[in-house]
Amino acid sequence: MAKERVRLTKYDPGTFRGRFDVIVWIVFLAFFFLAGKLWFFQVIRGDELKLRSESNRIRFQEVKPLRGQVLDRDGNILVDNMPSFDVSMIPELAKNSGDVLERMTFFDGERTGRWKRQLERNEDRKPFVPVRLERDVSWQNLALIESNAFHLPGVVVDVVPVRDYRFGEMAAHILGYVGEACCDETDGGSPEAYRPGDMVGKTGIEKMMDQELRGASGGEQIEVNVNGRKIRVLGVMPPRPGNTVVLTLRADLQRICWEAFREKAGSVIAMDPRDGSVLAMVSKPSYDPNLFNRGISGEAWRKLLEDPLCPLQNRPLLGLYPPGSLFKLVIAAAGLEEKAVTPEKKTFCTGSHVVGDRTFRCWNRDGHGSVDLRRAIVESCDVYFYELGEKLGVDTIAWYARMFGLGKRTEIGMPGEQEGLIPSREWKMRKLKEPWQIGETVSLSIGQGFILVTPIQLLRTYCAIGNGGVLFRPRTVDRIVSPGGETIRELPSEVERILPLDEGNRKFLLSALRDTVHGERGTGKALRELETLGVVACGKTGTAQVVKLSQEDQDLEKIPYKYRDHALFVSLAPYPDPEIAVMVVVEHGGGGGSVAAPIAREILMKYFKIKKDRVHPAGTEVRTSAGAGGAG
Amino acid sequence: MKVDRRLIVHFDWVLLGLILLISMAGIVNLYSTGSGFAPSGAKTLYMKQLYWFCAGLGFMLVAAAVDYRFIVRNAYWIYGAIMLLLLLVMIYGNTVHGSQRWLSLGPVSLQPSEFAKIGLVLVLTRYITDNQAGEAYEIRNLLVPLGILFLPVVLIARQPDLGTALFLVIVAASMIFFIGVKRKTILLFFSAGVVLLPILWFCLKDYQRERIFTFFNPERDPLGAGYHIIQSVIAIGSGGVLGKGFLKGTQSQLKFLPEQQTDFVFSVFAEEWGFLGALVLLALFLFLLLWGIKIARNSRDLAGTLIAFGVTAMMFWGVFINICMVLGVLPVVGIPLPFFSYGGSSMAAMMIGIGLLMNVSMRRYILQP
Repeated sequence: MAKERVRLTKYDPGTFRGRFDVIVWIVFLAFFFLAGKLWFFQVIRGDELKLRSESNRIRFQEVKPLRGQVLDRDGNILVDNMPSFDVSMIPELAKNSGDVLERMTFFDGERTGRWKRQLERNEDRKPFVPVRLERDVSWQNLALIESNAFHLPGVVVDVVPVRDYRFGEMAAHILGYVGEACCDETDGGSPEAYRPGDMVGKTGIEKMMDQELRGASGGEQIEVNVNGRKIRVLGVMPPRPGNTVVLTLRADLQRICWEAFREKAGSVIAMDPRDGSVLAMVSKPSYDPNLFNRGISGEAWRKLLEDPLCPLQNRPLLGLYPPGSLFKLVIAAAGLEEKAVTPEKKTFCTGSHVVGDRTFRCWNRDGHGSVDLRRAIVESCDVYFYELGEKLGVDTIAWYARMFGLGKRTEIGMPGEQEGLIPSREWKMRKLKEPWQIGETVSLSIGQGFILVTPIQLLRTYCAIGNGGVLFRPRTVDRIVSPGGETIRELPSEVERILPLDEGNRKFLLSALRDTVHGERGTGKALRELETLGVVACGKTGTAQVVKLSQEDQDLEKIPYKYRDHALFVSLAPYPDPEIAVMVVVEHGGGGGSVAAPIAREILMKYFKIKKDRVHPAGTEVRTSAGAGGAG
Repeated sequence: MKVDRRLIVHFDWVLLGLILLISMAGIVNLYSTGSGFAPSGAKTLYMKQLYWFCAGLGFMLVAAAVDYRFIVRNAYWIYGAIMLLLLLVMIYGNTVHGSQRWLSLGPVSLQPSEFAKIGLVLVLTRYITDNQAGEAYEIRNLLVPLGILFLPVVLIARQPDLGTALFLVIVAASMIFFIGVKRKTILLFFSAGVVLLPILWFCLKDYQRERIFTFFNPERDPLGAGYHIIQSVIAIGSGGVLGKGFLKGTQSQLKFLPEQQTDFVFSVFAEEWGFLGALVLLALFLFLLLWGIKIARNSRDLAGTLIAFGVTAMMFWGVFINICMVLGVLPVVGIPLPFFSYGGSSMAAMMIGIGLLMNVSMRRYILQP
């Protein structure tokens, strides 16, 4: 112990006393610093950092809304939602994902390999994130997955709502279809902007009424851990489903029009002339909008695009045709209004009309003889209108055509509507740098030459003749109804303008159209069958030339399809206060009276039969007594 | 063996009480990190820590019972044994997260670098008591301590564990400065440091340099290396004044906070117990350190003073560096918070240190000058 004793005696605690004081100070200062730093983070920045910790753990997960329904005016469902089933795999639940995939042998084709590649591609994702294997699985496969669920760990089925277009290709163009939002639709940071993956209306009513149909996304506030795994749901805001859009369309009439139109290509529009409501709109050839539900396949899409008949084109609004004889009514109205002609004014039709060194033929090569204005309309005498048109001049004709709404969009509200073309001196000078030729006025008088219009424009012109001279904006949507069934707003008919037409002249023209159907030698006599239902109809035929052909060569079968004339027919019924107007265009169909008019006849026959059944149904007495009871 | 009755009478109950309080708080805190959505391995860490603490109490009693003068006499042997362990780690050690720090001994794994801290305190005590000139040290007095320090520092830095290596340097420097160093020598070391620093920079591994970069600007790489610091500050700050409550810390329970059983264990505590809880914990540590200084001060011989001072310095730097680290004041260098961070070796080494403090504390009345 001697050694220690020596050391102990050497030790003088006093040497270190001052140092210990310094050390105590250092320790105090260090702890004061730590406490100050904690004060700064926990007290001064506490609220801010609390928010940051909340944003760390709280995520907002979008819950997509159900798209609104589309109904016809009677409440029949035109477009609904239906479930589609996707099959996904959650890798962490499948102990051996390869084995599980091998077990799903009931899917045909080489799918296992594709699924494995799919899983490999997503390997760097979190194992609890589902990887989609198949979209839109059939009911049969779905049932097999469900019944083998025990042997297929990690395989999950998701329900995705998709559109159900109940009328398929029958009403494809007017209703449109939906697709994933892309490009400019997803632009902008506004809350209305679409997110990639949202379904958005691409055309037709789906596009036009997208803001009503889409609804608003809801969301789930969820707590996640650092891996993004959902731990619990903190709050739910249910999505607001889209509103129901009630159309002016009549589903039964749409079907009738579709079925009546048996030709290759063309269109049918039915409209209520009293307010411009569209009752039916058919475009042919058509396509199945249900194909677009889960993204159309490249092959199917290419097939639609490459079809020479353009099935995607909505012909009533986009198809441009010369109006042919349907234009004669505009010439007649212009002649009467400009007092260039009276109903009694007669012209002698020899079968041709000579202007300068050119001869313009009447469709009746033998000539109509002496015709007044009424006969000229009823028998569609070309010579009468050649002379009248020549007298009016191209610019007066153009002015009246525009007044009747031709050569401009009807503003129906659907995408892609065409404007058409009404030629004038000024137009020809500007576009073709050539002066107007008198012969062109003669062609224009029977709706040939440069003039191009759409079926909906023509129909609107005739509706104005039928309804007292009101040009309505075509109406497709009647009202918007909330998912709960309350009417949110009604979309009343809109008058674009009231035509400055003399009422006497209008009545004369309408009666001439009546005589076209019911009179002697009328070109629209195909519609006379309506008399069996006690209905008096008006109509006008039109044959729009595609190319000029010699008169001798009129055998339809011998002409190549693309050079055949377009057959046009418009009709209004019943006379004198029409409630329905039907426009039929048969592309390359031949003569309006022989091809287009029978289609209109079939549609109107069925329309009035249904009307008769509705007014006088089997239980008329019951209805009457109920009405009396209500009144009492 | 005859036990001096005075040893039992002068047993340091205050020290034991402080250690019990701090360690229990640490174990409760570890329980929180293992609850909720922790991986199954983390759920039982608090139990393991409790076992290590109980074992540590045994080590503490042994370290307290054997006369510290005997321990100091054999300090070179202890030092040698620990160097041997560090060499073994280099050859047979387990690699975790890219560094080779652990030795497997049956069911437990040992981290010799933690024990190197205690070994260093003892061996420096031995050297200083042997070479106490009664005046400040100059270069020639420092050659041997530098050599003593060099060996473990190099071995640990090569694991690589730069944090612990630097920690050894800081503890040794604390003891040397406590004895006193001539101003001229300090200046010499300082200028040598300025020259050596750029050279050292090139010896660093990429991830080490990355850590230093992100330390200066954590938002530079918010998802990578800066993530730890950002999430730690969010955890601490979001605790506010009163804390989110036990088991309710979202940053820790949802695992946004990384390394929450080891490096960032204090952030968990601060998030759940708030500013007030953190102050209480700091006060406990402060009390422990002041108590250690008191023991060093009251020691009857230089060896006791140096042991007590060295152990206290070791605890002080552990607490200070770790908390600075989680507050973003210092780079993340992997220094555990004493009695709090999970780790058997750290806990055992710290308990041995406490035993040595008790050793000095109990014997202040026995040893007569």
